[in-house]
Amino acid sequence: MAAREEVVRRLQELLGEAALRPDEAYAQGVSWTVQAPAPSLPDVLRVFRDAGFYLESITGLDFKDTMEIVYHMNTYEPRSRMALRVLCPHDGEVPSATGLYDSALWQEREVWEFTGVRFSGHPDLRPLLLPEDMDERPLRKTFGTVHAYRKREEIYG
Amino acid sequence: MENQRVEPVIQFALLDDLLNLARANSLWPMTFGLACCAIEMMAAGAARFDLDRFGAGVFRPSPRQSDVMIVAGTISKKMAPAIQMLWDQMPHPKWCIAMGNCAISGGPFEYDGQYAIVPGADLIVPVDIYVPGCPPRPEALTQGILALEDKITQGEDRNLLRRFRRMGGTS
Amino acid sequence: MAEHFAEPVRQHLYSLNLGPQHPSTHGVLRILLTLDGEYIVEADPVIGYGHRGHEKMGENRTYLQFMPNTSRIDYLSGLLFNHGFCLAVEKLAGIEPPERARYIRVICAELNRISSHLLWFGTYLMDLGAFTPFLYCFDDRENILDILDRVSGSRLTYSYCRFGGVTRDIDDVFIEQTRAFVKRLRSRWKDYHNLVTKNVIFIHRTRDVGVIDKDLARRFGVTGPNLRAAGVPFDMRKVEPYEVYDRFDFQIPVGEKGDALDRYRVRLEEMEQSCRIIEQALDQLPDGPYRQERVRLKVKPPRGEVYFAFESARGLTAYYLVSDGSPYPYRCHVRVPSFGNLHCLTEVFRETLVADAISILGSIDIVVPEIDR
Repeated sequence: MAAREEVVRRLQELLGEAALRPDEAYAQGVSWTVQAPAPSLPDVLRVFRDAGFYLESITGLDFKDTMEIVYHMNTYEPRSRMALRVLCPHDGEVPSATGLYDSALWQEREVWEFTGVRFSGHPDLRPLLLPEDMDERPLRKTFGTVHAYRKREEIYG
Repeated sequence: MENQRVEPVIQFALLDDLLNLARANSLWPMTFGLACCAIEMMAAGAARFDLDRFGAGVFRPSPRQSDVMIVAGTISKKMAPAIQMLWDQMPHPKWCIAMGNCAISGGPFEYDGQYAIVPGADLIVPVDIYVPGCPPRPEALTQGILALEDKITQGEDRNLLRRFRRMGGTS
Repeated sequence: MAEHFAEPVRQHLYSLNLGPQHPSTHGVLRILLTLDGEYIVEADPVIGYGHRGHEKMGENRTYLQFMPNTSRIDYLSGLLFNHGFCLAVEKLAGIEPPERARYIRVICAELNRISSHLLWFGTYLMDLGAFTPFLYCFDDRENILDILDRVSGSRLTYSYCRFGGVTRDIDDVFIEQTRAFVKRLRSRWKDYHNLVTKNVIFIHRTRDVGVIDKDLARRFGVTGPNLRAAGVPFDMRKVEPYEVYDRFDFQIPVGEKGDALDRYRVRLEEMEQSCRIIEQALDQLPDGPYRQERVRLKVKPPRGEVYFAFESARGLTAYYLVSDGSPYPYRCHVRVPSFGNLHCLTEVFRETLVADAISILGSIDIVVPEIDR
């Protein structure tokens, strides 16, 4: 539990109180949600790494008006998972986490090939799961049949 | 796909029957699992179902040593060239069993907008026996192998030796 | 080994392509190895040969239609994945399953966990060159499959759980069979230990081989028995108890060093703990309905998201579902444990022998289509 409080305190200093949102009931499966601007990502992730968190998963969400990258960070203590959310434009770039977490090497490759968000500073950004000649971005909502393509505030607003 | 089953010009009926009987009763499948069906293929070869009873339990790791390729699982577009290459490496005579719905037609993964899979093994290699199911039970695979054995010996009507043996057995 | 690598000039490097069709890669994994003699200098796993687009399928199917997919992501612990997906959707939509259903799910999930570990036991030892344990464990595994087959109608891809319950109630025969199976499995431990655990060849091939320590595990996000073998008691069933796991008395087995032998011991002990959970759940099994009748087939969760983590046979698995209020998930991401477990091998393989690499690969228990999704 201590690691979580430590991270919350340092992130409040770094990003301001408004960027962090608690979820006491654990209804979404995370204890805190952190909204960070893309350029500050390396600093935020360093805070997580120094406190002993590991990178659990990276997900790319495609909305009509923006892309969102969600990092789920966790420690080996109960109920300490935190979500880190970063917005970026559709053809945008997000700083890579590879220098801090080795597991980002593959996860970022996967997010890149499926959503098209580039990770600047990634040493080896090549397709991971898809064939090498695939030039589509399958998890973009513009590809294939999808049920809805919404703006971000329609879901989180 | 060119026709890979060219009949020889000179045929020795009885010798062919004999060889076919031998081939049918010692099918060596290739260890080649792609997805879920591979587990049922393993189960078919293991303690309870025991494919060895039908002479098809000797799983070979190398395509050069095997007679039958059991395509067990979903064929992704990335995997398809490898399957083609493995099939080409197998020596004649060779057979192929498409095990499971994915290998038959894409199964549950084939839908409008699917980008990742090849819907059906018959688009890549000539398939002799289709075993439906998702995944098929080991009994189904056993039946598939028995059906393949029938196909190889061309059934009891065509294979003189089998007919002879049956007549000998019943009289 | 260290002296070997101390040599400044390595001029006989060569590449070896392992897979994608290779008997020991457990499916369709390909590893590009750079070798110096028998020693691995660099390993680059090439994955994606089993990619089927589950996450895209999640976006154009209803929640219930996606249920069969979940047991095909990781087909060895299909029921655990069903279970987790059910719990995620229930959490998102606010559905409360009845008590009896919760117990039934836990019993079946633990049976599935044992069957997955048994299969790992057999295939791992087959990789090491022992054929007999494979036949033994498949014999035991068939018993579990019979039990689950009877209630769910499938041997491997169950789709047994439903939102708000399970598809079918269990009866006295099921309870009887399960108790008999637990008893039978317990009587087999002695055989297993005599056959394998005390085997000198086995010990020499696994001790100090493929060490994954705490630090390495954290860097690569390794979870499950591989992490617990390194001495971290991290199990979602204890750390974030879901369903009714907080009502049972069970331990989390941990190892010391994190080598292949520890991973073997942890998994074997986990099967025994699963047996304990099953027994307690059978004792506590309440009467009542086995599914909530009022749940619609086309579940419509409110807008929002949920990240639900649970413990599958291979480690921490999570469904990340984003709902826009329609019966179709807006985004359906699956966090799979084998992904991190395999990735860390790029580090573990360095400076090991090729023969050990096979042992390590088997000991971390991966399911390739789960990684590829």
